[in-house]
Amino acid sequence: MTSLIFNPRFDRRKLLKGAAALGALQVASPFIIQARGETPIKIGMVDPLTGVYAAPAGNEVMGAKLAIEQINAKGGMLGRQVELLVEDSANDVGTGVQKARKLIERDQVNFIIGDVNSGIAAAIAQVTAEKRILHIVSGGHTDSITGKDCKWNVFRVCNTTRMEANSVSNVLFTKYGKKWHFITPDYAFGHTLYDACTDDLKKLGGTVTGNELTPLGTTDFSAYLIKARAANPDVLILLVQGSDMINCLKQVVQFGLNKQIHVAGTQQELESLAALPPEARVGVWMFEWYWKQPGVPGVEKFVADIRKVNNGNVPTARHWFGYTSAMSFALVANKEKTTDAVKLAAALEDFELPDDVKLQPNKVYYRKGDHQLMTSAFVGEAQSKGKDDPEDLYRVDEVVPGDKTAPAVSETGCTIQWPA
Amino acid sequence: MMTQLLLFNVTNGLIIGAFYVLMALGLSLILNLSNVINFAHGGFLVIGGYIAYTITPYIGFWGALLLAPPLTAIIGLAVERVLIRPLYGRDPLYSLLLTFGLAFMIEDGTRFIWGPQGKPVTIPAFLAQPLSNDLFFITGYRLFMVVVVMIAVALLFLLLRYTRLGVRIRAGTLDLETVAALGINVGMLRSLNFAVGIFLAGLSGVLAAGQLGLEPTMGTGLLMPSFIAIIVGGIGSLPGTLIGGLLIGVASGVTAVFFPAASEAVIYVMMAVILLTRPRGLFGEEGMMS
Repeated sequence: MTSLIFNPRFDRRKLLKGAAALGALQVASPFIIQARGETPIKIGMVDPLTGVYAAPAGNEVMGAKLAIEQINAKGGMLGRQVELLVEDSANDVGTGVQKARKLIERDQVNFIIGDVNSGIAAAIAQVTAEKRILHIVSGGHTDSITGKDCKWNVFRVCNTTRMEANSVSNVLFTKYGKKWHFITPDYAFGHTLYDACTDDLKKLGGTVTGNELTPLGTTDFSAYLIKARAANPDVLILLVQGSDMINCLKQVVQFGLNKQIHVAGTQQELESLAALPPEARVGVWMFEWYWKQPGVPGVEKFVADIRKVNNGNVPTARHWFGYTSAMSFALVANKEKTTDAVKLAAALEDFELPDDVKLQPNKVYYRKGDHQLMTSAFVGEAQSKGKDDPEDLYRVDEVVPGDKTAPAVSETGCTIQWPA
Repeated sequence: MMTQLLLFNVTNGLIIGAFYVLMALGLSLILNLSNVINFAHGGFLVIGGYIAYTITPYIGFWGALLLAPPLTAIIGLAVERVLIRPLYGRDPLYSLLLTFGLAFMIEDGTRFIWGPQGKPVTIPAFLAQPLSNDLFFITGYRLFMVVVVMIAVALLFLLLRYTRLGVRIRAGTLDLETVAALGINVGMLRSLNFAVGIFLAGLSGVLAAGQLGLEPTMGTGLLMPSFIAIIVGGIGSLPGTLIGGLLIGVASGVTAVFFPAASEAVIYVMMAVILLTRPRGLFGEEGMMS
């Protein structure tokens, strides 16, 4: 057997077929490029389309695609058409880096968007900085990306974990009590989010009754929940995300814990609430963007546009992340009339998003100093069933502007080094 | 306080373990008779869950519980016939690689059909609450799961002990060559055995869908503990698999009390210790995998 594996034998026919195919490829490929006419401007996107983050990643890509369509319909970027090249990071750092390199080196993209996974986003940022490509992190939240590891070419649309914690801490403390127990996912995102929450809690004068570090991908949370209840906290804070959030919240409700302890957390997503049965849609959270914003310009149109490509479903925050990331490139490039990464990065500093892109009431801009988008937090409560729409699963109580939730630039640990 | 916490977690561990037992028995059946390490078992669990999700609106939760496992088994039969049968008799590595690939295909297939977005599965309301305020972690549904597992295990052992098929499966596990020489259709035997294994995976899928979120990736997290249950219990021994599943459930439950971050790692440590001190597992027969 091994000899076959290590010494594959090609016969004459196979060799001929292979040669013919290769020949055809040589003729065919320039033809494809010619057919496109003028070379388009390329945006590369790396996101985990397979694995546990497939749902949010797919939605980010959908949002970016919508943006590209709209950009092209309005004449493209610098008069050229824009093309989106999507690669699957498979929720793996190595793969993500490899795909980013492929997009930059082989496909010659001008811009990069990605990744949902914080670890991959940070790793890709190393590559884009080295290759001098303007990069927007669409959905990876860990602080360091616009904190101690910030880079001149990297901007971020979604919130930092600090911003998430700051948006809800006060409400939870004053409304629900001062003894908090945490269920924290045991990786970078969870740790920074936990630190942010406990810092806030200490400032407010509360106490932590315990922290259950759960491995990513935990299916059964019962053991942690038994411990959490024994500690008798006022609030049970769930910091887990994705399928972990779904499993954990479902079990919390089955155990009836939500009737004894207040259940809350920081980041909650429509993807998670939609995957839960109605009785398990409980708790106080923050959304990073919400589709139901009566009277806010542009939102209704955006919702309608996404419904057309999303089986009639409404956009989630992830759609908005992808959309805003792609739109930011087009807006700034058309304003500056260049694709030069350094010039565009400088121009993006303190760049304010227009109404039809920001899609929220407050002022939204990329902050000079750490390149973090000052985007709002939608603080509110999950609701089991929407009144007018089955997808209205969240009640927004307050939209807190980004510069209220973000710590000052001096506290982020970010010092941007511009290329010489 | 501490004793109560410990007691709670032992009981809770047994409940979790019971679920692993159901998965692991299916895996174990297939491994014992056909020497196939079925990495796609978690995939079949997902298929079972999604079938239940799809048919529940028409025939209700109880109908889905009855119908989804046999439907999954039929899919399993087709897969066995087309993909796995040609690999019998070859090095187990072949079927391992095949089922490993199959697991990815099933995951992406479910994503393609049902979408990457998780699906909510609602269970009958009277099962969805705890039995008492103190023993809040024993919900009607979890108790129901344990009962279903007990019935399934009892039926499986009865099948293996008293039916012709069962006797042949057990005989085949010990010495397939002799069984074949006695004129028994080994191909058919393997197919039926595979179907029984996949039936259990489908049943696990329906049960899991009621308690966890239904997602294309949900099988992966449930598969590894089941493998470990087999190794700890001993390859070749179904009672061993049963004990192994319960043991790892309790071990991870108890670890969660003292050192929560290690509650997943502990089952791997257990496997390592068993492999070092008693390579055949607690109840395994020597030389099963040689």
